[in-house]
Amino acid sequence: MTRTRLLFAIVTLLGVARGLPAGAQVRGTILGPGARAYPIAVSPLKNDGTGGADIGTRFADVVNRDLTLSGYFKVLDRAAFIEAPESSGNTTESIAFEKWSVLGAMALVKGAYAVEGDTLTLEARLFDVYQRRQIVGKRYRGSAEEMRRMAHRFADEILAQFTGARGPFDSRLAFVSTRDGRFKELYVMSLDGQDVRQITRNRTITLSPAWAPDLSALLFTSYKRGNPDLYMIDLMTAREMLLSDRRGLNLGAKWSPDGSKIAMTVEDNGNADIVVLDRSGKLLRRLTDNWSIDVSPSWSPDGRQIAFCSNRSGSPQIYVMSADGGEGRRVSFSGTYNTSPAWSPTGDKIAYVSRMDGGFNLFVLDVANGQARQLTQAAGNNEDPTWGPDGRYMVFSSTRSGRKKLYLTDATGATQVQLTQGGGDDSSPAWSRWLD
Amino acid sequence: MGRRWRAALVFCVCVAAFGPGCSSKKTGAGEDTTGAGAAGVGEEGLGTGGSLERARQGLSPTEGGPLQDVTFPFDSFDLDEAARATLRSNADWLKEHTGSRVEIEGHCDERGTVEYNLALGAKRAGAAKEYLVALGVAADRLSTISYGEELPLCTDHGEDCWQRNRRAHLVVVSE
Repeated sequence: MTRTRLLFAIVTLLGVARGLPAGAQVRGTILGPGARAYPIAVSPLKNDGTGGADIGTRFADVVNRDLTLSGYFKVLDRAAFIEAPESSGNTTESIAFEKWSVLGAMALVKGAYAVEGDTLTLEARLFDVYQRRQIVGKRYRGSAEEMRRMAHRFADEILAQFTGARGPFDSRLAFVSTRDGRFKELYVMSLDGQDVRQITRNRTITLSPAWAPDLSALLFTSYKRGNPDLYMIDLMTAREMLLSDRRGLNLGAKWSPDGSKIAMTVEDNGNADIVVLDRSGKLLRRLTDNWSIDVSPSWSPDGRQIAFCSNRSGSPQIYVMSADGGEGRRVSFSGTYNTSPAWSPTGDKIAYVSRMDGGFNLFVLDVANGQARQLTQAAGNNEDPTWGPDGRYMVFSSTRSGRKKLYLTDATGATQVQLTQGGGDDSSPAWSRWLD
Repeated sequence: MGRRWRAALVFCVCVAAFGPGCSSKKTGAGEDTTGAGAAGVGEEGLGTGGSLERARQGLSPTEGGPLQDVTFPFDSFDLDEAARATLRSNADWLKEHTGSRVEIEGHCDERGTVEYNLALGAKRAGAAKEYLVALGVAADRLSTISYGEELPLCTDHGEDCWQRNRRAHLVVVSE
């Protein structure tokens, strides 16, 4: 029953093979998520060794899925490929680029791998088909079961080359789900819905997972001793540690970006307020102290401010206060029910949930000018926004297809893709930072 | 999986050996194995167990019991006249059963945010407790807990169902 294996093992980046010269431009126009404009072909990798026969194809599958999720690319169908990996080269000189341009591919991924014992060495290269040159190449080494991580890292690199900002896929999602029983339990998975691992088996109410900044642990709230207490679970040892068991709510805990403190909701005689704890759960400071609901703290990326939800005006609204406490400044002004603030890792946006016409939808507030933009509309209840590490994408829960499931969206709402399927309700996603 | 089976087995043996009154859990003052609810099964004053304990045993939440539920409007913890009348009647029962202790559960309907609803449920339980104390019930006989939208009485999606879920549910935990 002990789950001692690492959630994510180490992938070593061995080298960068001939990157794009500084200042060089990638040919073609990337219009943005949702345009799906840029045609790319991802060839299965060539097997330079003897073992791991399907690794080259599975690598291409993972890269294809990430590129599709990103919304920037049109991934070309492998069935039409002319150049076979085993009988062709992986360098600018040895690739028959005309066999790719004829398919309409503007970009091409090729590469090779070899398995020795349990060690996988994998090399992937991104080419500009029309200029017939390599844009970037990466070589990875790790255990064979880390192939999927290598693929996520290379997909993130492709996004970096074409959009100027690293992609978000070498990361993990924590969430709660009722897929294995009547109670919400804690799970972790990759963004593409794979590598799902059940983290808790407590058979009680489990809520609000949050990542440690070093990704070694998750905070969550559990009723396993009857009261909604705060726990931390170490992801290496699967050991759960009780951090706070104040009478009443110990809820919605979030580590500060530097990992030194935890902001959380506590309760006094029915009234919820936000406090700051140290890493061991000891109370450091009370941040709010009034007779209204104050809940759901979310740190700014510099750790100096906290967004939260309060009904001090008579209805739940989003506020921002100093991380030392003090008066909050209201930042949501339309609607009578605004909750679940999530501060983006780039600092410039706060996502939240707003009730309108009986349904719930995601909004993104521009912190600088105070303007809010609606991301979802007229499709079920859309809640629980959490930002990816690059600040371009969010994951949220939605009932648009029936049961509550997790969806990916870019920050404009143009691309919205369902990530989880199957039975049960999936909710409260918490997106980690990058794994490395 | 092993733990689940063991828990289920312990529960079955317990019921078989000692009948509905058996429970080693502090909140499990009585178990309704028929699922028929408290009113028709228990002795007067015998509760049906808290909503979380019942859920762990595979049982649905109950409505009422020796003490009546108090209901609330959406996003509100205000006690209207009907709620106050219910609490006055509950206070009378509590004054007759001076040894009893009660846990007040705060619940919400499924709409809205999990964390906000947990805070709202705490407000609902707190408002009910405060009124009972004002009516002369000793505060140390009353505990509160919020379950937010986590343990709904009714799982349909509509106001008929939601209004039953926006409640303070009073569970007798000991006589």
